[in-house]
Amino acid sequence: MAVRHVTTRARIKTWPAKAARILPLLLARCFSVAALLAAWEILARSGIFTPFQLPPFSAVVLRIWNDGAAGDLWINLALTLYRALAAFAICVLAGVAVGTAMSRSGLARWFFDPIVSVGFPMPKIAFLPVVILWLGVYDLSKITMAVIDAIFPVIAATVIGIQGVERELIWSARNMGASERDLLRQVVLPAALPQIMTGLQVALPLALIVTVVAEMLMGGYGLGGAMMTASRFANSTGVFAGIVEIAALGYALVKAMSLIRRRLLAWHPEAHAPSTV
Amino acid sequence: MRTLIRYLPLALLAAAWEAAARLHLVSSLALPPLTDVIGSWIELIRDGELLVNGLASLYRAAVGLALAVVVGALLGVMMAWFRPANTLLSPLVEIFYPLPKSALIPVTVIWLGFGDGSKILLIFLGCMLPVTIGAFNGARGSEQVLVWSARSMGASRLRMLWDVVLPSAMPELLNGIRTALALSFILLVSSELIVAQKGFGYLIGSLGANGSYDAMYAVVLTVAFLGFAADRLYLALTRRALAWRYDT
Amino acid sequence: MAAPAQILLENVSHVYRPVRGREVLALDQVSLQVANREFVALLGPSGCGKSTLLYLIGGFLPVEAGSITVDGKKVTGPGPDRGIVFQHFALFPWKTVRGNILYGLERQGMPKAEREKRAQDFIELVGLHGFEDSYPSQLSGGMKQRTAIARTLAFDPAILLMDEPFGALDAQTRGLMQAELMRIFQRTPKTVIFVTHDVQEAVYLADRVAVMSARPGRIKTIVDTKFDKKAENIFKERVFVEKVDEIWHLVREEAIKAQGRRST
Repeated sequence: MAVRHVTTRARIKTWPAKAARILPLLLARCFSVAALLAAWEILARSGIFTPFQLPPFSAVVLRIWNDGAAGDLWINLALTLYRALAAFAICVLAGVAVGTAMSRSGLARWFFDPIVSVGFPMPKIAFLPVVILWLGVYDLSKITMAVIDAIFPVIAATVIGIQGVERELIWSARNMGASERDLLRQVVLPAALPQIMTGLQVALPLALIVTVVAEMLMGGYGLGGAMMTASRFANSTGVFAGIVEIAALGYALVKAMSLIRRRLLAWHPEAHAPSTV
Repeated sequence: MRTLIRYLPLALLAAAWEAAARLHLVSSLALPPLTDVIGSWIELIRDGELLVNGLASLYRAAVGLALAVVVGALLGVMMAWFRPANTLLSPLVEIFYPLPKSALIPVTVIWLGFGDGSKILLIFLGCMLPVTIGAFNGARGSEQVLVWSARSMGASRLRMLWDVVLPSAMPELLNGIRTALALSFILLVSSELIVAQKGFGYLIGSLGANGSYDAMYAVVLTVAFLGFAADRLYLALTRRALAWRYDT
Repeated sequence: MAAPAQILLENVSHVYRPVRGREVLALDQVSLQVANREFVALLGPSGCGKSTLLYLIGGFLPVEAGSITVDGKKVTGPGPDRGIVFQHFALFPWKTVRGNILYGLERQGMPKAEREKRAQDFIELVGLHGFEDSYPSQLSGGMKQRTAIARTLAFDPAILLMDEPFGALDAQTRGLMQAELMRIFQRTPKTVIFVTHDVQEAVYLADRVAVMSARPGRIKTIVDTKFDKKAENIFKERVFVEKVDEIWHLVREEAIKAQGRRST
């Protein structure tokens, strides 16, 4: 406790100096994003590109604003988010379950191992027409497609994570009288968590990519569907608005995942290391 | 024998498929028997359709991926070694990396139409960032003492990038390229499914629309197998290139 | 000390600035002269800035206060006149033993046939015959360090900087490597600055031992350790034991001071 107190005091003390060091960096970071948007606007208005090829950024923002006011944006956003997250949730539960089963039972390993090692590197998106054939074009088939694609990284990460748990850790837990059940829930899975989280961080963007593709192909509401509709009517402002919306959604989901990772892995040394990129 | 036991589950699945279709447990429309699918596959090979469309697809994927690897690796190394490049580019990478790449499909069509160009651009844009990030992390992780060693033996700064930073970055770079390889198949097939006049995705779509489901299954399985084979081949090449990492 | 100083350090100070946390004065007004073909050991507790001093001479870190000259020229960057051997070998893991040794020779622009021959000579010199095509990951610690030494000796720098080169080795290998280094230097004499925290090693190898104090790093005393070390049982000779004892007391004082400062 005492140690903690000292560090917070030290942090307060050095704050102005830290701000002086970080602020220019922050400005420099904003600069390139601002420059990109400005370049977009200027290029679009310069007449080098037709408004069809590159609508001005301001027009795209206006379009998003109008969609937001009309409510379409929120319906599409909610639907895409729902499908991606539902698929992701299934991947987490089923993927960790299958991965755990594979590490603990020889039979499960024998059955799933070739399926995973052949299925993981396959471009499963090619099965999309098959999924449509079986399940139609509604939520069920979109979510199924996303699950088929995003579950493999979770299974693989769980297996690798559990394999990597140190023997000494398991032995000392057994030595302290842990039952098999305790062992799994309190030792093996937490120790494998960094790996599993890495798998989940791959799975979530993948679920979103596939959801968007599925929406584009199957139509209906959702950000991907709306983009496709706009594209069919040669409404390129709508297409660019879709990209911005989907980019924002992707960014928010990835950021949320890395926040969750930091929270869950506060004990892990990486949590205190500077983050990558 | 061992391989046989190892891959037995796949054979069992195939047998279950055949049985389910033959015994009419499921509609033969939704699941044509595996033997019929194999028959259609031979047919597709014979009339050259699979080859023509396949080559079109592989060409797109190869060009897009090659561009992505070259540009991505350069960007990543630059970001790791030149501070201004890092300050300018890293916010852009951070914004575009999480962008679901499939969202770019309609835009590339707006820019370059329905042909090869739009697919190549899509694959290039979609695959570049995983390569960049791999190169960046790898190059940034190159050990200071190795850099110093090379410099003290008379290597210029540029030479040092080539001799030390690039090889140090190789494991992570190759890993990034593997991600890009998988992504290139996904983007290729989905863009061809949505708009194309030839290619695997186009073939799958048009066969599906005609109701020749056994042929559609044949193409789907071919694409899936090619993706798998490409990954295995890449892994084998990587192992050879990184032989120095493993003792014995 | 009749020979003119080859390496001249005048009032060199260095401030270490960590990314987060307080600045530390790592070196404070260090002055030192090293003569041509002299072997000087820098000895001190960990954190006394002895490695930093070596990196400054190597030109890897910028000299911000004071001056360092080698052969009358100011040090501004790394160069092949000063070869360095690091504690953790710093071999290129993607190159074989031969490839590592060849690298410096290639950079010097030596013709192919000549450098192949020279690399082989140095492989023989450090006793790595038969391991030419092994990668560093396949070698033991001692073999890696021999490769690193051969790599640096091969391009024939006038000055050799060694940063705790035997620190990562086990005690037996260490002893063997020290004797081998003595043998090599008798054949190819060099000016050497050798960083270590092992008193016996310093006395055994060096002509002079500079004892450093910790935080801020200063040179506290310089002890002359030049005497005949060819005797079979040199480590038990009276003159050797006395020198070790003398220096050990100097270092111990510093280590205790450093400990006390750290815990407050």
